[in-house]
Amino acid sequence: MNIIEKILKSHSVDNLKSVSPGDIVTVSVDRAIIVDMAALHPEFVNNPPIKPFDPDKIAIIFDHFVPPPNIEIANRVNKLRKLAKIWGLKDFYDVGRGGISHVFSGESGWILPGSIIANTDSHTVATGAFNAIGRGLGTPEMMGIIATGKTWFIAGETVNVRFINGLKKGASAKDVFFKMAEIIGDIPNMNIEFSGTGIKTLNMDERSSISTMCAELSAEFAVFPFDDILKEYLEGIGIKNYNPVYPDNDAEYYKTYEIDLDNVEPMVALPDKIINNVRPVTELGKVEINLAVVGSCANGRLSDLRDVSEVLKNKKINKNVRLIVTPASMKVYEEAIRLGYIDNIIKAGGMVTNPTCGACLGGHMGVSSDGDVVISSTTRNFKGRMGSPKSRIYLGSARTVALSAVNGYITGDENE
Amino acid sequence: MNNITGRVWKFEDNINTDLMYPQICYTLPENDKPFYAMHANRPGWARMVNKGDIIAAGKNFGTGSSRPAADNLKNLGIACVLAESINGLFMRNSVNSGLISLEVPGITGMADEGDTLRINFNGNYIENISNGKIVKFRPLPEFLMEIIDAGGIINILKNKGLLGEPL
Ligand code: SF4
Repeated sequence: MNIIEKILKSHSVDNLKSVSPGDIVTVSVDRAIIVDMAALHPEFVNNPPIKPFDPDKIAIIFDHFVPPPNIEIANRVNKLRKLAKIWGLKDFYDVGRGGISHVFSGESGWILPGSIIANTDSHTVATGAFNAIGRGLGTPEMMGIIATGKTWFIAGETVNVRFINGLKKGASAKDVFFKMAEIIGDIPNMNIEFSGTGIKTLNMDERSSISTMCAELSAEFAVFPFDDILKEYLEGIGIKNYNPVYPDNDAEYYKTYEIDLDNVEPMVALPDKIINNVRPVTELGKVEINLAVVGSCANGRLSDLRDVSEVLKNKKINKNVRLIVTPASMKVYEEAIRLGYIDNIIKAGGMVTNPTCGACLGGHMGVSSDGDVVISSTTRNFKGRMGSPKSRIYLGSARTVALSAVNGYITGDENE
Repeated sequence: MNNITGRVWKFEDNINTDLMYPQICYTLPENDKPFYAMHANRPGWARMVNKGDIIAAGKNFGTGSSRPAADNLKNLGIACVLAESINGLFMRNSVNSGLISLEVPGITGMADEGDTLRINFNGNYIENISNGKIVKFRPLPEFLMEIIDAGGIINILKNKGLLGEPL
């Protein structure tokens, strides 16, 4: 069995002896996470589950609309505050206390190697960086999980993505993902497992960025192996007890792709979709931009803010560009202040917001207008995703966004 | 599940959840939400849909977020989604909201917009009444069909007495 099959097997409530593609597996979940968006689902606030399966395994995190941008949302999320009390949750993170769920749950030591995480948000595939599996689920399904502690998966085929060598200066994890999108395309109902010596050159932020973005390939899970980098990260936050999962020697994969990290160059996704729509930045021609956004669960992490700070130090952003930088969690925000990143961004003319999903989902903190041309380090470029359907959204790495903000057009080149 | 017969709307590959349920739907009154489905890619479409219509789409239908995109299509009157391939999260949400969605390789080649399709759940095939073409599909697992037949997971949870009072 591969890593994913082994995790499914170990959580099978029917004590399955093995798991292979096509098997339907009912599993117990180790943690369930509900984000503020759940308050906008009428069924959830009208008929919340009476009794949670285990209040210590459930968290409510406010992230998408922090702080609430309008009265409607302000009133709705109040109901979740009430619910956290009724259920007796110790893990409730209100405005100013947590961060984007996928980032904050990693920082909090909730994503243990070998575990299964359920979350109402679709980028829960992010958990794969921690040698765990997790899935985004609709709020109605989460209501069932809260009540029972269980859900189901249909085991899918798994592709093996093998990384060799290491990234060149100027290339980043987001670009590795774009390369994957180019060569793999969409793989609904299938999984990804990463392997190869290149993995050890990627830190936890970079692994998380890649696994998070695999939602955009419609992958079910996108899992990294357990290694010393993950072990040290967990030790750093005081976590020692967990069960790492390794693939068997005879683990089966549907297909193997090799990516030489040394060949990865800055890339962008053109507006409206990622699949069949990515290009090296050098092949783009001159695309002028007026809104530049750094943030999201994929690329609003400390490594991303570091990249932005490096680019902006002692520079000014182009006068035609608005730059909005949104740290992904309170911890990222604090660290970025301590390390001077925030100072460099503000002095260059960028606006730094509080941690939230913000502009990524076009809800607040930088909604795009008709005619805006946007370069963003966020996750999705669907038409209308960040605001007006008449804006055009290009996606790139945080570094590419910062370089573009300085130059006024999309570029991944330091020397322009 | 009874057979479904309906008129076809064709959509291309990679139709995402944000097109089906744009951001602004979150805070609209329930009855207004469905009319914003596909507003960004196909303005005016939602108003032309009749109850019982069928969507026939390309690959990777429903890629995107966990938002209630399937509910929006169901509330608009869509009886069934057929696509070359379907995102796993959309499939779950669809089943859980009681909307049947099926992966049907070959569907885009056998139906044109406006054709009438009959989905036969006994024989697991789809017949295009307008041109006579037939394509087979792999049925959903039985436990998923049970959720759809119950009208979605909320009904099941309610019947089991697991859900409580409004907050
Ligand atoms: S940052 Fe964007 S992609 Fe990530 S959870 Fe928030 S809205 Fe979703």
